[in-house]
Amino acid sequence: MKKFIILLKSDYLQRTRSYPFLITLCISLAIAYTFIPPPDATYSTIRIGDYQGYYNSEWIGYVTAIMTSIFLSLVGFYLVNSGIKKDISSKIGQIIATTKISNFQYLLSKAIGNFLILSTIAFIIFIMSILLFFIYSTGYPFKILQFIIPYAVIVLPSLLFISVLAVFFEVFLGRIPVLQNILFFFLFSLILVNDNFGTKEFGWDIFGTRIILDQMEESVREISNIENTSGLSIGYALGNISKTKYFPFEGIHFPGSFLLSRLAWMGLGLFLLGFASIFFHRFKIKERFQPKKIENVLKTVIKSDINISKLPKIEKSFMVLPLIKTEFVLLVRSGHKWLWVLNIIGVLSLCFAPLSVAHQIILPILWFLQVSRWSSLVTKEKNFNTHFFTFASYRPLRRLLLSQVISGILLALLLATPLLVRYLILLDFAHITTILLGGVFIVSLAVVLGILSNGKKLFEIIFFMLTYTNINAIPFTDYYGGLHHHHAYLMAITIVSAFLLIVSYTIRSIELKKI
Amino acid sequence: MKLDIQNVSKKYSGKKYGLKDYSLSIEKGILGLLGPNGAGKSTLLKMIATISKPTNGAIHLNKNNIIKDPNYMHKQLGYLPQDFGVYPNLNAYEFLEYMAALKGIGGTQLKQRIALLLEGLNLTEVAKKPIGNYSGGMKQRIGIAQALLNHPKIVLFDEPTVGLDPEERVRFRNLISELANDCIVILSSHIVSDIDTIADEVAIMKDGQLLTKASQNTIVDSIKDKVYETTITKEAISGFSANHVILNTIRKKENIIVRYISEENPKDSKLCQATLEDAYLYLTKR
Repeated sequence: MKKFIILLKSDYLQRTRSYPFLITLCISLAIAYTFIPPPDATYSTIRIGDYQGYYNSEWIGYVTAIMTSIFLSLVGFYLVNSGIKKDISSKIGQIIATTKISNFQYLLSKAIGNFLILSTIAFIIFIMSILLFFIYSTGYPFKILQFIIPYAVIVLPSLLFISVLAVFFEVFLGRIPVLQNILFFFLFSLILVNDNFGTKEFGWDIFGTRIILDQMEESVREISNIENTSGLSIGYALGNISKTKYFPFEGIHFPGSFLLSRLAWMGLGLFLLGFASIFFHRFKIKERFQPKKIENVLKTVIKSDINISKLPKIEKSFMVLPLIKTEFVLLVRSGHKWLWVLNIIGVLSLCFAPLSVAHQIILPILWFLQVSRWSSLVTKEKNFNTHFFTFASYRPLRRLLLSQVISGILLALLLATPLLVRYLILLDFAHITTILLGGVFIVSLAVVLGILSNGKKLFEIIFFMLTYTNINAIPFTDYYGGLHHHHAYLMAITIVSAFLLIVSYTIRSIELKKI
Repeated sequence: MKLDIQNVSKKYSGKKYGLKDYSLSIEKGILGLLGPNGAGKSTLLKMIATISKPTNGAIHLNKNNIIKDPNYMHKQLGYLPQDFGVYPNLNAYEFLEYMAALKGIGGTQLKQRIALLLEGLNLTEVAKKPIGNYSGGMKQRIGIAQALLNHPKIVLFDEPTVGLDPEERVRFRNLISELANDCIVILSSHIVSDIDTIADEVAIMKDGQLLTKASQNTIVDSIKDKVYETTITKEAISGFSANHVILNTIRKKENIIVRYISEENPKDSKLCQATLEDAYLYLTKR
């Protein structure tokens, strides 16, 4: 048990002492601040028709718990789904494999480690929710239990299940991270739709939010005398704020059966871990590297020495074209080859799907499939340890960074070509411009977040959230013109992209000066 | 061609120094950097390669301050880092073409130069295969090839023989000897045999400081008449090591043959011919 705790502690410390974790924590805090809209805000997060609750302890406690449960389940998966991968790349896994620790214990330690990370963020959001109460409350009494109970009953079991799911996905799909991301994306969407608009059996609700939302709807029904309170909205909705009416939400007494269901989800998590431990590779991974085969070939070669003085002379050439070419090749070749099958299906869909569907739905999904490629655009030097070469190269900032940005944009536009051609046939230059700018924006975002966080995760998480909101047609996050094509929008995207690129250039420049 | 390192320090957090008040000057030829792990060899090479900046001091190449103008160094640098990586999805040709573009070189003869380098480093047969499939030694040779791509005037090799087999080491030493005819070569290692056969001068480092820099003969002469060998029992070794600087031990059944340093002429010990390894161990252990 002591060894297990030491394993957990070291895992937790190693992960929380990282720069990406701090950035994620800051972003989570900023997002948590928006969970409860300020009184004069023009958006709502949870709303039942025209109603939302008075800002009492119950409303703030439960609303922030619902938002945290959904938000952290979505983002948290991407934050923690590489625990085993890190042990493989750091070679710690090979050491662990030789110890007495069982597969189940190891996977359990990973799941609990994930849970501790997510719980840390949830705790910070919890503190923020209490602060929000004191900022926004207009004389309602502070009831600490109305904060603790929803977080304990709703948030923690959800996070534990997501933590286990991250390990489960890694065991079975660890070598295909992109598939992990995509499958979870669809699984999450399915769960959310089912939880909030499908089943009425609260026990089947993974996020545990349906029972609270039902109670909120019931409270609204009681005061409005309307039988059917349609119009429940969860998430950031703009407009209709002027008509807002308020109702007193007084919390919920969770039935015993519901509490048992929350325990059952945790139990299912343990079962999934047990199942995964049967198939866990225990770091006996098939190596791609086959030295014997290649070395045998070498033995047949007649060896000759290098005659330095007789080597052909080379010329100076500061063109960026060869760099763009190789950066593009690296982008195309990264990831599994079968992903290109998905890309081709996506590109074909862009050719034949109705124009609005192709632009609004297929394009953001097709671009999201490139998440791993773009996230490694400016981080691969550190990942592959080639930064010694690149940083010692001739004018690395002006030449290499530029070529990386251009190659990333080329990939975006190449994939969007059928859509661009269709708009060109229609002479719809406004939509063509929005797609071009969308490509520039998403690559700029990948570059700036990669440089800022020195890792891939932050961009992956934000791109995932962007894509999710894009598919749900939230106008604010529409970066590729699926919904807008006004001049003001084009201008805004251009300015934001330029700003992101300037920030990237500046930070990398400082980075190079400080090395 | 002259490289001047003047009072260079690299301070990390707290009071820890990677390099402390380090000065060195080198002209054409091979300088061997010897030192135990953590001596500051890689830190020094990184600073010369301009991928790490000194906290204090100056580095000049041909009187050009390369800290202020790193591109002056980049144009003529060939650098093989100790712990470098490669892009596993590229083959050797593609990787070297990429490296050439990074270094700002090209021209019609580039492909031929790459082909000859790969041939000389015995990689032609696998040059079209992804580097991800290469063994450690093959990756090391790719690293050597990229360092020689741009006809460098200053070449830095940080632990270059890691992963090379004995035959490859010999070939590598020959290569360095030829390179040194018209450029500066700095070669770091903690393996004395990598250095003693080729280095014109040797700099021995410890804890971020330069202990000595001189020709091999001068360094070896500093411990001439101080290296002895004797045979003692296994039980006596701990007491013996407390009073002497031990250079080497060889187990022989119940006894141990001990090679050690002594300022006086001890009884029952045989005077031995000093080597560079003896001098290195003496300087870094005392």
